[in-house]
Amino acid sequence: MAKMKIKAKEKNGVVKVKAMFRSLMADKEEAEKKKIKAEYITHILGKANGKVVFEATTSGFMSENPLIKFSFTGAKKGDELEFVLTDNHGKTKTGKKKIK
Amino acid sequence: MFKLDRKLITIGMTLAMSSTFALAAASAQCIPGVYESKPGAIDGGVTYPRKNGIYTAYRYNTQSTKGVWFGRAATANEIKAWDVDALPDGTGLPEGEGSVELGDELYEAQCAVCHGEFGGGGKGYPQLAGGNQDKDENGIVKTLKNQRQYGNTDAPKRTVGTYWPVATTLFTYIRDAMPYAHPKSLTNDEVYAITAYILAQNELEIDGEELDDEYVLNAEKLAKVVLPNRDGFYPNIDGPKAQENIRAFFADRAKNIGMGTRCMKDCKDPGGQDGKTEATVVKIKYEMKDVVPPYAYAKDLPPETEGGSVSKAEKMYDASCKLCHATDTMGAPAVGDTNTWESVMKKGMDTVLVNAIKGTGGMPPKGGNMDLSDADIKEIVEFMINSSKKH
Repeated sequence: MAKMKIKAKEKNGVVKVKAMFRSLMADKEEAEKKKIKAEYITHILGKANGKVVFEATTSGFMSENPLIKFSFTGAKKGDELEFVLTDNHGKTKTGKKKIK
Repeated sequence: MFKLDRKLITIGMTLAMSSTFALAAASAQCIPGVYESKPGAIDGGVTYPRKNGIYTAYRYNTQSTKGVWFGRAATANEIKAWDVDALPDGTGLPEGEGSVELGDELYEAQCAVCHGEFGGGGKGYPQLAGGNQDKDENGIVKTLKNQRQYGNTDAPKRTVGTYWPVATTLFTYIRDAMPYAHPKSLTNDEVYAITAYILAQNELEIDGEELDDEYVLNAEKLAKVVLPNRDGFYPNIDGPKAQENIRAFFADRAKNIGMGTRCMKDCKDPGGQDGKTEATVVKIKYEMKDVVPPYAYAKDLPPETEGGSVSKAEKMYDASCKLCHATDTMGAPAVGDTNTWESVMKKGMDTVLVNAIKGTGGMPPKGGNMDLSDADIKEIVEFMINSSKKH
């Protein structure tokens, strides 16, 4: 399941987030071609202080190692940003990073 | 630049034709041969003997070098300034240290425009991190075995983590050649920081320790890095016995490289196969006689200009555009290049502005700095055009 790289920086009340999730994002068709197991992220959920700040439903349409960028307000330095990934096998993975 | 004396050539050709037979005996050494295991050699296996048993894969150029200045021997100080590389064992690495966190900041400001966030690669620029570092049963990184063939969707992914053999190269390369448009602008500490960041993005470990944000890299630790593809290259070119190793490796070409086999029959004989006839090689028809104008020996620096006040537009240009537009090597029209800018301006000011704001070709929208307003972009573009007009 995907490893993730998260970067979150707060400036003037706005938190800018960049995150990359390591995944082949191989859907069924691609997996058959490459003779590997179909495995892709189906859901990305980003939370800060218990509130949802990012949510996306994804599939094989996204590129390998998808990169997301977004910004939100309402969090300060030292707060924790949490990502929950769900893949097509139903497995979940969480990654945390403190906002700088 | 090169002056060809046509009268001399015509005379020379007649002379050359008549003296061909005389020369043929004298230049017996120049008859190309093939590698020893001749039967299997395909046409690429032609060798050209020079002297003392040395041969090359290229024809020896016997042109006159009259008027060509070969310079002088380098002084001890010049060699010292040139000899700055770092060996795989860490010899030659300067002192200094940098953290992953600082590297992150520097990378985002100076490197991410081309190499992508987290080293993920950009349009036409090398990917630094990522790729599968898994190895097969022979210890070869799997992704490097991907062949670029029809039907294959995966190319070999060559990043620091999957392809590079030695990590000290990262340090010397970044220090000497990066950032692309203004190399050698980083301090040693900053280079250590960026090196640490790239190693961290490749999820590498040093002495079993993961590189988290607080990790501080220095010369000693950098020398300890073992990259996954350390043994993926041959022949072995490391150590004092490197030359002997390489000679031994190339001595047995058939085994170590493979001679190839002819796949077609009744091909036109390229010559040189039987060791008697000369291979048909296209030779230089017109010999270089002179260099006009002669090579300059002067080493003066360009005259210094009076530094005037720097405008707001120039400051913004320095911050956001200079990285690519300072030189034309990035494919971007260089500021000061009158001809290129004239052809750019044929599109019309409006199109140029739209391209600058929305991006075109390799250029990201607003040069990658989305904080700039459209009015700022207009000022910058006007500054760039004015700086590139004929004086």
